[in-house]
Amino acid sequence: MSATIHASLTSDKINIQNAYDFVADDAHGAIDVFVGTVRNLHEGQNVLGITYDAHEGLAKNVFTQICLEAQSRWQGAKIYLSHYNGELDIGGISIIIAVSSAHRANSFEACRYIIEEIKKRAPVWKQEHYENGCSEWLPGHSLNEANSE
Amino acid sequence: MNEITLNIKFFGGFRKFGEGVSFAVPMGSTIAAIKGVLLEKLNGEALVLDSVLANDSEILRDDDILNSDASLSILPPVCGG
Repeated sequence: MSATIHASLTSDKINIQNAYDFVADDAHGAIDVFVGTVRNLHEGQNVLGITYDAHEGLAKNVFTQICLEAQSRWQGAKIYLSHYNGELDIGGISIIIAVSSAHRANSFEACRYIIEEIKKRAPVWKQEHYENGCSEWLPGHSLNEANSE
Repeated sequence: MNEITLNIKFFGGFRKFGEGVSFAVPMGSTIAAIKGVLLEKLNGEALVLDSVLANDSEILRDDDILNSDASLSILPPVCGG
């Protein structure tokens, strides 16, 4: 039986085709793909790039847990998740989530669930680098809140 | 009083303090007490208050107790994706 979840943290360039190929399934009529990329503007400042930082072991655990939760809610879904760790220029892919299912609603909903949970729970941080030479770690969601739920 | 040694690794916004910090605390200290010591070591860095301590497999709760040497991480608020 082939795997139905791929969850990884990588310093290699993220490949969209790999995600598509993993979730493609003859029994599934829908594939939803979310691609997160580095944009060039944040709160009025020109951004040159982002450095991602992550707790590797915990991040992989959280990624897998979130994917399992999604499969529990949208049964039969196949899920590919890969998050980048390291430096990215503008346009670089920071995360890809691909979900396939028999019908489109489940793919859309599962994909949305996974990215929203990652933003709240995965131990990943980003430092933006600006055109004026400054760099800043972005604020985020405290894991104090996630841990008390 | 017996002491234990903690090695705490930094991530995200804590990177400005280096790779990490080591210090000793009394055996049986709670995570909340350890965060208090860390707050002092980092000169009152407010980011500690919104952060959690974790080992390599899970986030630790404020009332968890440590009785032996440990390698931990301090995790500031997250913003992946």
